[in-house]
Amino acid sequence: MDSKIDLKELAGRIYDLDAKVYKALGSSMGHVFYGNRDDCIHEMLTLMQERKNAHALRSDLALIGNMARSLKGQPEYKALMVEYNEILQDLKKLPTGFGENGIIDRKLARLNEADPRKRFAPGDHLVICISRAYGCSGSNIGFQLADLLRINYYDVEILEKEDEAQRLEKEDKSSDFIRYHGLPKRDALFFTQSQKIRELARKEDLVIMGRCADAILARSGIPHVSIFITAPMEQRIRHALQTGRDKDRKKVLKQLKAQDKWHRKYYRFYTGRSWGDVSGYDLCINSAVYGIEGSVGLILRLLPESFRCVREAKAKIEADSDPAEN
Amino acid sequence: MVPKVIIMETLNVPMWMVIPFAGLLLCIALFPLIRPAWWDKNKAWAVLFWSLLSLVPFAFHFGAKTSAQTFAGCIISDYLPFIILLFGLFCVAGNITLDGDLAGSPKLNTIFLAIGTLLSSCIGTTGSSMLLVRPMIRMNKWRKNRAHIMIFFIFLISNIGGCLTPIGDPPLLMGFSRGVPFFWSLHLFPVLIVNMAILLFAFYHIDKSRYSRDIARGAHPDLSKPGRMVRVEGIHNILFIALIVTAVVLSGSLPKMAAFQDAAGSTLGIHLAGGVTLTFPSIIEMLLILLSAFLSFKTTDASIRRKNHFTWGAIQEVAVLFIGIFITMQPALLILEAKGASLGLSKPFQMFWAAGALSSFLDNTPTYLVFMTAAGAMKFSKGIATGLGLIPVKMLMAISCGAVFMGANTYIGNAPNFMVKSISDENGIRMPSFFRYMKWSACCLIPVFVIDMLIFFL
Repeated sequence: MDSKIDLKELAGRIYDLDAKVYKALGSSMGHVFYGNRDDCIHEMLTLMQERKNAHALRSDLALIGNMARSLKGQPEYKALMVEYNEILQDLKKLPTGFGENGIIDRKLARLNEADPRKRFAPGDHLVICISRAYGCSGSNIGFQLADLLRINYYDVEILEKEDEAQRLEKEDKSSDFIRYHGLPKRDALFFTQSQKIRELARKEDLVIMGRCADAILARSGIPHVSIFITAPMEQRIRHALQTGRDKDRKKVLKQLKAQDKWHRKYYRFYTGRSWGDVSGYDLCINSAVYGIEGSVGLILRLLPESFRCVREAKAKIEADSDPAEN
Repeated sequence: MVPKVIIMETLNVPMWMVIPFAGLLLCIALFPLIRPAWWDKNKAWAVLFWSLLSLVPFAFHFGAKTSAQTFAGCIISDYLPFIILLFGLFCVAGNITLDGDLAGSPKLNTIFLAIGTLLSSCIGTTGSSMLLVRPMIRMNKWRKNRAHIMIFFIFLISNIGGCLTPIGDPPLLMGFSRGVPFFWSLHLFPVLIVNMAILLFAFYHIDKSRYSRDIARGAHPDLSKPGRMVRVEGIHNILFIALIVTAVVLSGSLPKMAAFQDAAGSTLGIHLAGGVTLTFPSIIEMLLILLSAFLSFKTTDASIRRKNHFTWGAIQEVAVLFIGIFITMQPALLILEAKGASLGLSKPFQMFWAAGALSSFLDNTPTYLVFMTAAGAMKFSKGIATGLGLIPVKMLMAISCGAVFMGANTYIGNAPNFMVKSISDENGIRMPSFFRYMKWSACCLIPVFVIDMLIFFL
């Protein structure tokens, strides 16, 4: 018996039971698993695999049971309680909690996940998430990489423009408060852009800059390669002085520090992870050492050759670097 | 609701008679944790067991007549108006729904709590809690960490917010019926503002950190559809809430009118067995509340109740548990009545903590009355003129704040607390257990009360 598939099926049944109870109640007060089915199942599987958190899932199931019990006397009650009991029985059959059953070979699975070249299954899209410090040419590296691979490139400006275009298309003239459901604009934009990032990653190959895309996709179980690019402060200042409007070194230094602080806070707030922490990325690059083209080459070496665009890009680089062949 | 404290000769109740009350509290605290399914099915039997354990020894010790007088009095004069008020507000509020697409964020939740807190003084903590609990849950349905929102809801809307008027909380209505001017409670406004400022500041930061944790765990509201303006459905039910509030005010003011008094100045009513009197003002109050609930159901479409996930579960749970609490706490209240004046409390801060500590577990109305009586008996030469004597402003403020605020310390400190917990439980929110809730109140409320003492009651 493949217990991993069983657990996924079990998680699906729990989600469906919650949805059925909610529908039968006719309530608009919310239910236990709120959101997209795949995301919720992924989260349940994570809870099942994290042994210390397995109790949280059992509590969630108990809450669904409580809600179902409030339907007593209604036609759906019996069927829902039978289903609830069946799920409970299945949970009891698992020997010592979810831990051992979640993954057949945890070591192997971990190794697979650790090597980006083995991470993608047939049918998955090549998704490269790049986080970068301001002033290290990260955007140029991302853009050149996308250009070389001939895949789409997305950054904050492009996503915001798409958002605005969609709003105009819908002729939505409501105030920000109504449009964003009372949420702060920054949070609402994060939610809509997160959704957009997930949709894009499920349907096309792409390079996406920032936007916490690596954490968003990791949370949704969408395979991707995560890269962090930075450079020593001195190099970043020089770059900013050359390319930016400000020519005052002190002012630029202050701006860079403020940018880094903002990045750290933003990333921590929306992902709970540490921005720039090497353990959170597949590859960290000091662009001052490799330059733009060197960094692109380095990233390319990390990408799986199962993607045609990667094979073609590597061939192109080899051809360009071997003048005898031209 | 104004419980009518039975005036009888002071009974010398032994301390061990409080055991059934403690036993019932322990059951309420522990069984939902250790045997939740068993407790769900058998809580009524547990209540019956502890109630009998309270009634039988009491009857043996004081005789059948005194026992009947005490317990029948508590059921008819205290429990009945209490549960009918709760039932009425539960029914009417269940017929009002805020329909909109607001998604709970720290800022929105804080504003909502602030408005709710102020509303509590206008329509009572129970009315305000019942009216706002569902919109609060609905707004935050997309969140994963929601229990802390409902805990602060209990702190602020179900308790602290009720301090500004006699409508706000039953102890203040009791004070009003004993001669405290109607608008005197506005003296508590500075205390309320200090408490609101500290608690809302703390809430905002706790909520912000949990909101961030929710987002990091992948929670997100559905923003795919354009937002809609907030719309209130079943808005005509506000009239029935107003009628219930009027009924509550009448129950406090009618007994003072000559038409409702006999020659001896006692309130007229129907004399029942055991020397218990169900007063006419109380009957009028209960009839008006039941009429409001009936009309609310008759005039509101069932679809609104469906949207609100309206079930009888929460009110049933409160009705069952609180009848046991009311019965078993009688010995404790009698001890308090007998010994309250001799506790040696003479300073406002002592009154604040004593009234508060007891209101955390006992009904806050008789507790308030006991300390007010004790203060009135101290023969102060200046202060607020009440039916119980002159009471200095600071002293009355301390007793009022202790009784009103510290009901928030436990789930059983005030009726709406348990209602909010039950409704939250029914709607997928994992509320903390009895003791974990007390941990929250110890960490968040007690420091605020210490600040209150330092600023206002020393």
